[in-house]
Amino acid sequence: MSHQNPNPIHAQNPPQLIAALRRQIARLEGVHRPVRPEGISSGCTPLDRLLPGGGFHRGTLVEWLSAADGSGAESLAIVAAREACREGGVVVVLDPRREFYPPAVARAGIAPQCLLVVQPATEADNHWTLDQALRCAGVAALLAWPDRLDGRTFRRLQLAAEEGGGLGLLLRTQAAQAEPSWADVRLMVEPLPAAETSRGRRLRIDLLRCRHGAGGQSIDVEIDDETHTVHLASPVAAATVRHGCSRAS
Amino acid sequence: MIGGRGESQSDREALEKLADWCGRFSPVVGIEEAAAPESLLLDITGLDALFGGEAQLAGEILRELAARGLTAVVAVADTIGAAWAMAHFGTGDREERERGRKGEGETHWTKVAGESPLLPCSPSPPLCSTFILHPSSSPLSPSLPVIALRLPEQVAAMLHQLGIDCIGQLEMLPRADLLSRFGPELLRRWDQATGRLGETVPVYQSQPEWETGCWLEHPTTQRKAIELVLQKLLERLEQLLAHHGQGAMQLTCRLDCPPERPIELTLGLFQPTASARHLLPLVAMQLERLSLPAAVVAIHVRASLTAALQRRQGELFSDLSPWQNPRHVAQLIERLSSRLGSRAVVRPRLVPDPQPELAYRYRSLVNDGCGQSRRNGPRRPAAAIEVPPRPLRLLRRPIPLATVSIVPDGPPLKFSHSGGQHQVARTWGPERIETGWWRNQPVGRDYYRVETTTGHRFWLFRRLRDGHWFLHGLFE
Repeated sequence: MSHQNPNPIHAQNPPQLIAALRRQIARLEGVHRPVRPEGISSGCTPLDRLLPGGGFHRGTLVEWLSAADGSGAESLAIVAAREACREGGVVVVLDPRREFYPPAVARAGIAPQCLLVVQPATEADNHWTLDQALRCAGVAALLAWPDRLDGRTFRRLQLAAEEGGGLGLLLRTQAAQAEPSWADVRLMVEPLPAAETSRGRRLRIDLLRCRHGAGGQSIDVEIDDETHTVHLASPVAAATVRHGCSRAS
Repeated sequence: MIGGRGESQSDREALEKLADWCGRFSPVVGIEEAAAPESLLLDITGLDALFGGEAQLAGEILRELAARGLTAVVAVADTIGAAWAMAHFGTGDREERERGRKGEGETHWTKVAGESPLLPCSPSPPLCSTFILHPSSSPLSPSLPVIALRLPEQVAAMLHQLGIDCIGQLEMLPRADLLSRFGPELLRRWDQATGRLGETVPVYQSQPEWETGCWLEHPTTQRKAIELVLQKLLERLEQLLAHHGQGAMQLTCRLDCPPERPIELTLGLFQPTASARHLLPLVAMQLERLSLPAAVVAIHVRASLTAALQRRQGELFSDLSPWQNPRHVAQLIERLSSRLGSRAVVRPRLVPDPQPELAYRYRSLVNDGCGQSRRNGPRRPAAAIEVPPRPLRLLRRPIPLATVSIVPDGPPLKFSHSGGQHQVARTWGPERIETGWWRNQPVGRDYYRVETTTGHRFWLFRRLRDGHWFLHGLFE
């Protein structure tokens, strides 16, 4: 693990120096609450621009809603997890249905040794694991598919994330939209018909809810199939979809 | 000879304890190879200088043993056989003779002390307790009885019948006859005693059992009480382990609750630890999920697997972020494994296997006896495995699809899944995956990545055997 934080002695700018020294003092005082740097990128620059602080915040929950199977929400969540574990820490995947496929995640840029897959057998175990993993300071991001979350459990998870300082990525169905949320950000992901020339898949992200920010905005992005980078989709009409089959590779 | 005869097991245990204790005199301590061992062998080559001479060393050993309530005979000689013979059959006048000649330091000779601890109430205490054979003297006195050669009973009986009782008589017989008449054992032992044949001390390595237990005065089902006892036991175990610089990798707690079968709780750990404060919550977590069938009468805890403790100094000005500290994750893994079982907390490893469902393996991260351990076998360096495009969600069982395909060998145009009709807009493929006949269930599949007109992506395959279509994965 490389030393990401610059040594405060070498920091040029006095405010930076003071901030760095404060962090060290806090650490010396045994403050266990993780030091929160600025927002971490969601891995998706256009989405970062919509979010206050330029991305997600450590120690918060993010909900990804999608209407149907195969919609691409998980791909975006994986990209966010990849950004979150860039400086170290593990990505915990809660996979009670045992359908998580690590090779695809490795291809998306998260090394298998950074992953910790947990397969709880019951719903109670699932919620307990969620809580434990979020509470752990060594977890950079958590990926989970919680079906039902009552308000109290949700609040507990949010507090756990706050304590642990990781990023909780919750992938949920559209039905969760009606439920109250303790997540900092709630996003709805919906696939779009692809443009004929595109190298990846087009997705629409609706920012349903965002603490300290304006909800109700939406952007169209494209995930590159090869590099797994996310960028703003070029404004092409959806009508250019060609019916039938095209052998692209 | 410690304890009475007939208790060979407890004798042996007592001797092993003593062998452990003798580590203070010599780094190489062994127990004689016999059915009922009663002598300890110490290699004291070069050690006499540390104690001021062989006699001083022998005296020190006797004094220390006496302080433990044991009397012993110490013999120092160049060979194990000679020392053993002297310790068992040496006579007082010989000792005096040898004592008079000591003083010439010959430290490069291999000296071996045979030691025969005796009960304090031994019926016939030996006349003297220290024999030191000088290297220049003949290792075996001809007057010693032949059984001083550590002979098997049959050989000794046969010699006795022939009237050969002392080594001097044996020396007069031709060697060739001895071999044919009495077998190789006699010559081997004799040569070992005289130094013609080398012999090394069979090193005794104590294998301490990291176990401690407690019988409850009042059998109980109260968890609070059991937890308190567990805490005491774990603290005791911590002392045992920490004394040897060891930490538990796997902990077993046994709760005896007759007439039911004893309950065993097994706890695997990610990193070796001896700390009771760390272990207790993990054990308590398993305990609270347990239903006790009957009152617990005894509790035992055992570190069934240990490893050297790793000590880590905290850095005062650490540049590491909290999520870079490996201890946090280690504790999480232990907590999760303790409640969910070691098989439920895993780390994937990619395997270069063309069949998608076999392209990775999970291995558990703690060692609790069941499931594959991460420490089994050498870990191969993780080679970069090129993964072709794969879905993030792979169904455990491919779902058969009703499809419409116009081109006989081409991808489908329409299919239905979870109640919806999907019209295919774009496809990538086919990616043919075939495995050999030597597999239990060989597969032959043509995979297509398809994107529907709504932008949803699926991973389908056509079974080559019969042309049926299946949904295998979802590009979530």
